[in-house]
Amino acid sequence: MTQGQYDETTADEPNEAAEEKRHADYKRTGRMTLYVRRFFRRPSAVLGLVLLVLLVFFAVFGNKFTHWTYQDLDFAALGVPPNSDHLLGTTSGGSDMYAMVVRGLGRSMSIGFLSSILETIIAAIIGTSIAFFGGWFEKVGMWCLDMLMVIPSFLLIAMLVRSSSGTAGWLWLTFGLTVFGWIGYARTLRTLALSLRELDYVRASKFMGVGSFRIIVRHLVPNLGSVLIINTVLGVVGSVGSETSLSFLGLGIKAPDTSLGTLLNEGQSVAITAPWVLLAPSLVLIALTFSVQLIGDGIRDAIDPNSRSVGKAE
Amino acid sequence: MLKYIVKRCVNYVIMLFVATSMTYFLASAFMDPRSNYMERHPHPPIESINRSLTNANINDQTPILVRYWRWLKGIVLHWDWGLAPDQSSVRQAVGSRIGASVQLVTIATILSIVLGVSIGVYTAIRQYKWQDRVLNMVATFFLVIPAAVLGLFVALIAIWVNTKTGVRIFYVTGLHAYDGGNPFMWFVDFLQHIFLPTIVLLLPSAVGYHLTQRTYLLDTMNEDYVRTARAKGLPLNKAIRKHALRTSLIPTAVNVAFSITGVFTGAVITETVFAINGLGRYFTTTISTNDINGSVCIAAFGGLCTLAGALLADIFSAWLDPRIRLS
Repeated sequence: MTQGQYDETTADEPNEAAEEKRHADYKRTGRMTLYVRRFFRRPSAVLGLVLLVLLVFFAVFGNKFTHWTYQDLDFAALGVPPNSDHLLGTTSGGSDMYAMVVRGLGRSMSIGFLSSILETIIAAIIGTSIAFFGGWFEKVGMWCLDMLMVIPSFLLIAMLVRSSSGTAGWLWLTFGLTVFGWIGYARTLRTLALSLRELDYVRASKFMGVGSFRIIVRHLVPNLGSVLIINTVLGVVGSVGSETSLSFLGLGIKAPDTSLGTLLNEGQSVAITAPWVLLAPSLVLIALTFSVQLIGDGIRDAIDPNSRSVGKAE
Repeated sequence: MLKYIVKRCVNYVIMLFVATSMTYFLASAFMDPRSNYMERHPHPPIESINRSLTNANINDQTPILVRYWRWLKGIVLHWDWGLAPDQSSVRQAVGSRIGASVQLVTIATILSIVLGVSIGVYTAIRQYKWQDRVLNMVATFFLVIPAAVLGLFVALIAIWVNTKTGVRIFYVTGLHAYDGGNPFMWFVDFLQHIFLPTIVLLLPSAVGYHLTQRTYLLDTMNEDYVRTARAKGLPLNKAIRKHALRTSLIPTAVNVAFSITGVFTGAVITETVFAINGLGRYFTTTISTNDINGSVCIAAFGGLCTLAGALLADIFSAWLDPRIRLS
């Protein structure tokens, strides 16, 4: 930050030799470096990042720390509290909670991240197209988007994933979340893209005869880059929320596969007698959504040039 | 003004019709009522399955357009929303459950707007002071906590409070338990029941309003016209209330319509956690029993809630913004 400002002040100086010498001494701060520094200056963002890295590590390598798998049933230990063999206890059916949480976290995470990324791609293309073409296309497009938002998408997803089961069920659920999840984003992105379509180089390429799709992909979408990144990160929270809600109601991921929502459902009935079955997935779930939210907020503040929440650089 | 509202109404009716029809086709394509019968061992004779499916107008061997036309005619002419696979009437099932859901959704929506907007204004005026930071942190926490976790924990805390104090302060199941004639006792009983589910529904949407209202108000607070008002000698509170807040309420009003969808989704979970016999809980039943007509009816009700919110938002923003009113 300091170096960047230093560069700007020296640029006005008439003495070119001195300026060149200073340029050799001080490297210019790149934009990415600036973003990274601003991100790491924020304690909550760093906390979120550390938490998420730990969770990813836990989801990928967690099963190395126990000899139980999520499919094993230990009939010698039904509903026992946490001990040295079953690190987080067992369910009333004898499943090892630790192995189940590791598996469930992996499922919830992959569904959340995958569907959020796909949603952003669809929303970016459709939202900017509606803004770019304008005219009656915009009118019809906006009406369709509004119409699609009328019915709570949660209900539509529930209908769609109803026919999913088996090991490919989670892919089907991801598909359902994506198909109905992009609509709100597309509306936001269209509003932002409205001012972009008036940019000189966008109009110039239009008059040059560059294809519409090419303009959208090459000029409009990259201009929304920062918004798209933020949306993708924060979208994970929404996707994970929908997934766990559906699985909690018994409409999403079903046994033998498991997710954090499925585990919550199992914990609900034994909340008083075996609280560890409910606590472990709840805490992991809150850690997941909270860390992602903190990272998203951190990125937003790092990218936003007007943000003052992390203080000023002196 | 009246013309504007009528125009919006007509638009919304068409929207609801198209959206509900779309839901009907989607549900018919993905839900398979025949499997209810085929899963039984031994399954009933095929002719008898076909007869009951045809009677409920959900037979997958009848062309979809024929079924759609019959379904539409039933609703338009007789307000008949069709039959469930077990031949019970969807209209009766929905009719007996709609009250609980409407109470929950309405109370939670109104309270969350009032609470969220006031906290948003409170924190925007104190930007980056400790009140703002603390409330923002709390809001972020409640914003990301999934509905199922929130519901379960609120219920657990209530049970803990009940056992600690030895008095049954909160009820964690149902909406009514008192059946005497005393209206005051009835009301207290109702409050004891509705308090917890309302908290669960209200928190996520209230913190949503808080965070957006804070942003919108901060955007308008630094506008020239607010500075002019201050320069004229208007006290800060009045300048914000009369000039900044009025403008910044318009985007919030637009948000209300779309967050009702969220409240409705939350109601599905909350009703399951607190064993309230409302539409949300009925919805999970219809999905797991492949009840096409029932689930479409609930989707239509959800859409109606959204559009009612959208219409109120339209009227409210027209009242706030003369440009909309006069165009």
